[in-house]
Amino acid sequence: MPTCRQDASDDIEQGLAASGKERQVANSRGRCVLALCAVATVLSAGAARAEDASSWREIETKYIFGFTLGSGIGLEGEKEVTVDSIGRFGKREGSYAATETKYEFEFTPSQFIQIEFGALGSTHDIHGVNGLDDQSQIALGGAFAEFRYLALERTSTNPLAVTLAVEPTIRRIDETSGDRVLNYEFETTVNADLELLRNRLYAGFNLLYEPEFTKPAFGDSFHEATAGGSAALSLRIVSNVVLGGEVWYLRHYDAANLTSFTGDAILLGPTLYIQFTPKSFMSAAWNAQVWGREIGNPVSLNLSEFQRNRVKLKFAYEF
Amino acid sequence: MNFDMAQDRKGLNVSAPTAVMKKLALASICAAALLQASASFAQQAIEIRLTYSKGQFQPSQVSAPADKPISFRIKNLDAKAMEFESASLRVEKVVAAGTEGVVNVRALKPGRYEFYDDFNDKARGALTVQ
Repeated sequence: MPTCRQDASDDIEQGLAASGKERQVANSRGRCVLALCAVATVLSAGAARAEDASSWREIETKYIFGFTLGSGIGLEGEKEVTVDSIGRFGKREGSYAATETKYEFEFTPSQFIQIEFGALGSTHDIHGVNGLDDQSQIALGGAFAEFRYLALERTSTNPLAVTLAVEPTIRRIDETSGDRVLNYEFETTVNADLELLRNRLYAGFNLLYEPEFTKPAFGDSFHEATAGGSAALSLRIVSNVVLGGEVWYLRHYDAANLTSFTGDAILLGPTLYIQFTPKSFMSAAWNAQVWGREIGNPVSLNLSEFQRNRVKLKFAYEF
Repeated sequence: MNFDMAQDRKGLNVSAPTAVMKKLALASICAAALLQASASFAQQAIEIRLTYSKGQFQPSQVSAPADKPISFRIKNLDAKAMEFESASLRVEKVVAAGTEGVVNVRALKPGRYEFYDDFNDKARGALTVQ
């Protein structure tokens, strides 16, 4: 994920001029997202009281927290095909829309391991964004595999479950700029969740470390990394619908070993999970950047390494 | 096949028949290890027999000791297929009408583990591990 960092002096001038307005927009956005989460929580709490959760089946927690992943690894013998899209929208100026879709196959060969792999498709619609070339393209962008190991399992006496996951990815289209590159990413995560109320209320926590190596078509290759963590809360309002909210704190570095810090951001938003049938479900999430900073650029959000909004939509079918 | 050429290409001091023998030996060792592991699981496992009839498990409440692997043997007496499934046991298996299915489960910690027929929301049961 290359940055679209500008020449420092230009950025500072633009940043100072836009800073007040950006801060107002960011504050307003933060209040809006918080209000939405609060309304969703109140509504869902009311609906949740109406049903008795003790008769519900246990739920697979992996996809109930939005961008935050739960500890679930599926059931031994289970196979699943999914389409998982992430859209990123909004930079400081111009128009910016980029999506990356995983066409994936998941299977669980044992009661402790899950394996996923698939292809990546990407779209980019970028116009007038400083530091990025205008793009309007659809491409098959790369491939990935994911290995998940359930390190600590939940039981009726232990509400905490923890899964360790690694996801090597190769891309030929840069996910931020849409430029032709050779990019290797090695996402490492800890996915933990806690059942706070039996069959009803869950908390999710992720830790993320994502080093990358990118070789552009022209110019020097470079390393970078994203690190961070998230917390999420999800309430099962009826047996097949889960509503919640999540917050992410992300830091970006221009080095894989986390030595060259360039900026950070906080993203916040609601999440939704719907089980259509015992074998099919969807998951959706929206995160808005409510706070951010760019080192050396006094503006209110970090739109250099991150974006104003990101949206996730996933459909899955098990067999 | 030209064995000398095969040696030259690989630069190894092993003839092709010897290499094949080594691969076969390795495959045999792996197969033996798997069979032994399977036999060992079968020896140690606690067997729980369930029947599935008229859309219900019989018995629906079962128990087993902690820290021992468990083998569920499910006999489906109904005229249509059922799927034995459990999120907490992390297993699922379709058992066709009139047949028997075996589901092996890891050694479990004490607690209550629910199971159900994924095709029939009313068919429920639970395993208590003590």
